Amino acid sequence: MTTPLADSGKPILVEPDLDFIRAIRDHGGDSLKKCIQCGTCSATCTITPDHDPFPRKEIAWANWGMKERLFASPDIWRCYQCNDCSVRCPRDARPGDILNIVRRECIQHYAFPRFLGRWLNQPHHIPLLLGIPAALLALTMVVRDPIESVLGIEKYDSQHIIYSYSSLFPHWVLNTFFLSLTALVIITFVISVARFWSAMKDAASHERIAKPQKNLFPSIMSVLKAVVKHDKFNLCDDAKSRFLPHFLLVFGFVSLVITVTWMVTARYNPVILIDFKYPLAFLNPWKMLANVGGIAITVGCLLMIRDRLRNSGRAGFGNYFDWSFLLNVLIVALTGFAAELMHYLRLEPHRHVVYFVHLVFVFTLIIYMPYTKFAHMVYRTAALVFIEHFGMNSDEPDSPAGNRSCGKPEVMDDVQETATV
Amino acid sequence: MNESAKPVLVIGGGIAGMTAAVEVAEVGYPVIIVEKEAYLGGRVMRTHQYFPKMCPPTCGFEINIRRIRQNPRISVHTLATVEEISGNVGKFRARVKLNPRYVTGEHSIDDSITEKLTSERDNDFNLGLDKTKALYLPHKMAYPHEYVLDREALSAAETDTLTEICPDGAIDLDMKEEELEIDVGAVIVATGWRPYDATRLDNLGYGQFSNVVTNVMMERIASSDGPTGGEIVRPSDGNTAENVAFVQCAGSRDENHLPYCSAVCCMGSLKQVRYLREQNENAKATVFYIDIRTIGRLEKFYYDMLDDSNVSFVKGKVAKINEDSASGNLTLDVEDTLARETHHDHFDMVVLATGVVPNSADTPIPLDLKYDEYGFIDGATDIDGVFAAGCTRHPCDVARSTKDATAAALKAIQCLNRG
Repeated sequence: MTTPLADSGKPILVEPDLDFIRAIRDHGGDSLKKCIQCGTCSATCTITPDHDPFPRKEIAWANWGMKERLFASPDIWRCYQCNDCSVRCPRDARPGDILNIVRRECIQHYAFPRFLGRWLNQPHHIPLLLGIPAALLALTMVVRDPIESVLGIEKYDSQHIIYSYSSLFPHWVLNTFFLSLTALVIITFVISVARFWSAMKDAASHERIAKPQKNLFPSIMSVLKAVVKHDKFNLCDDAKSRFLPHFLLVFGFVSLVITVTWMVTARYNPVILIDFKYPLAFLNPWKMLANVGGIAITVGCLLMIRDRLRNSGRAGFGNYFDWSFLLNVLIVALTGFAAELMHYLRLEPHRHVVYFVHLVFVFTLIIYMPYTKFAHMVYRTAALVFIEHFGMNSDEPDSPAGNRSCGKPEVMDDVQETATV
Repeated sequence: MNESAKPVLVIGGGIAGMTAAVEVAEVGYPVIIVEKEAYLGGRVMRTHQYFPKMCPPTCGFEINIRRIRQNPRISVHTLATVEEISGNVGKFRARVKLNPRYVTGEHSIDDSITEKLTSERDNDFNLGLDKTKALYLPHKMAYPHEYVLDREALSAAETDTLTEICPDGAIDLDMKEEELEIDVGAVIVATGWRPYDATRLDNLGYGQFSNVVTNVMMERIASSDGPTGGEIVRPSDGNTAENVAFVQCAGSRDENHLPYCSAVCCMGSLKQVRYLREQNENAKATVFYIDIRTIGRLEKFYYDMLDDSNVSFVKGKVAKINEDSASGNLTLDVEDTLARETHHDHFDMVVLATGVVPNSADTPIPLDLKYDEYGFIDGATDIDGVFAAGCTRHPCDVARSTKDATAAALKAIQCLNRG
């Protein structure tokens, strides 16, 4: 007998994690207990496969407090919260919104170190979380001169001191600072994703899927292709409006990553040998790419905020987790532009204050990436790769395998057994 | 017994109203039944068979109609509505509107006469599945057993034809609406129910796909005096329905439609599965359900059905129905939640188990009564001397309706005897 209770044919002892159930209900999932397990959500979903469909079983797990089982499910990351299921749900249990909260809990669960995951979800930690980068940046201002004189670093930027921000932070400081942060973030992510992957693998081995069906590299490539195309948003009429803001945000972010990578590496790259004169002129191609990326991010953020306020695209108003990330990105973009503008206008000394604030928020965005909504980028990609890798996509809704006749004898047995209990 | 007691007014002449009237009258008190249709019997009269004994209404109602007909204490007004009620317990005054039947009842009319007419109307007794002539007998068992003229359906050209083909004085086209003032001691509200409007279930295709029918339509289709003579066939092409899906909770237990359970649809569908299986040994039935809710001994009915290998039960609510326009076949999207598989199964006919909406939700009783958020009225209403029974109180089957009616009858009699 196959029931949500027994994945492997053996009964599972459900030990509800009440704190987890409470956490979901406290963060916008108060509709959780309305679910009557009718399956309308799974049958409505345009993304779910026919075999082992979601989100009904996930809502059951959430109701039973089966935290570990949920966090080992790649399916929660297939969902794009188009909320078709929530609209059709006869009990108004809002399965789409619940999965969004489960994903948030999942990011916290795999976060390393875990306490940071908690802090990022607690508004009273904002001063501390912003204070750390502010203090570290302030510290670099104090210690830069002694270090520069000890190490004999040439004050490359001193000649532009009036026009550039180098007087505040020379590039060697920023590069060292942010490169080490990025390395730290990558290490954290590697640890988190390794935990996530092994949990998914462990769960899959209890299910019907045990062996990889496709090599890892082609799996990664096909997922990246899907991410670039953003095609899932278009599967649902109401979520279509969410395509543009997300697309703008992703590509704005990618263009800024490219620009920064180029700027950091180019001046040390003996092959390229570009003579940098900071600040770059407005019409410099790299400056233009960065500005276009910044505009894309700003517009994307503003559209997302508008959608959240109006609930267009049905993503709902969201919770602290959604808003803290969204506002952080917007503040980074806006302070960036403000610093740039004030720089062109030579607004002394205000521009330094704005630049400092900008750096604090950039720092916040990067260093806390594994614990904020930003991390969905990594977890979703990992989950989708896992799904490809283990062939869990084999029965897409539009495949001919979907047409099976019902009334199989084993189904009858199930009904009788349940009915007599 | 109070010999000078005022009558009890029973609003609604369905199974609850008829039962209440008979109970009151047989204790010795006068009763007035006001029924808006042209006949007594209401929704139960339109079933093929009903629980608990699976009687056809011809059998179950015959005895009740005889009790009403033979009892001089019961007067029946059909095509009538209660417009106003004033006063209080022991001395209510009701204003009743009597709509014209246009048939005097003084000369007999039969089908050989009505056949000569061409004007037709949708047969509401058969839920619009077929048509009757503009001059029609509501159904074979109709009480009062009198024809009715649908004045709006009669074409202007046939107005003269009608008087020619009918015996002199049988038809009175000048019949007017009348009003009646009656003094009553107590009121029993038994205005019954209607099925939930299935066209609002846009994902289930009712009204768009002709082979998607409702449970109340299925009763007529299976009924020997129904539009198909009792043969369960598809509305689109008249072919025998071989593979039928029963979709439970079509709009019930649904916050977007009726949030409550209508309590009767599970048994209704099981009953209809039996109609199908008794008629055709090859026919297959699949019931898609959230929970099968069978009450008391009726559970045995369900267990017996589980032994039938042509009947399947799939635990899962149907999310969407699509039609293959060429064949008229239907595809149902549903997750079999026990097997954790989404099905896209094909059927040649689908029966939607639509729920119970109290008529009092659309047509309030002309009294200052408290309704719950769905339009139901509590049995002992907040007005002394006014009692509700049957589906006005809650969704219920025939057995519960008659018990309700008997209880209301007793409460009404108590009011008459307060002195």
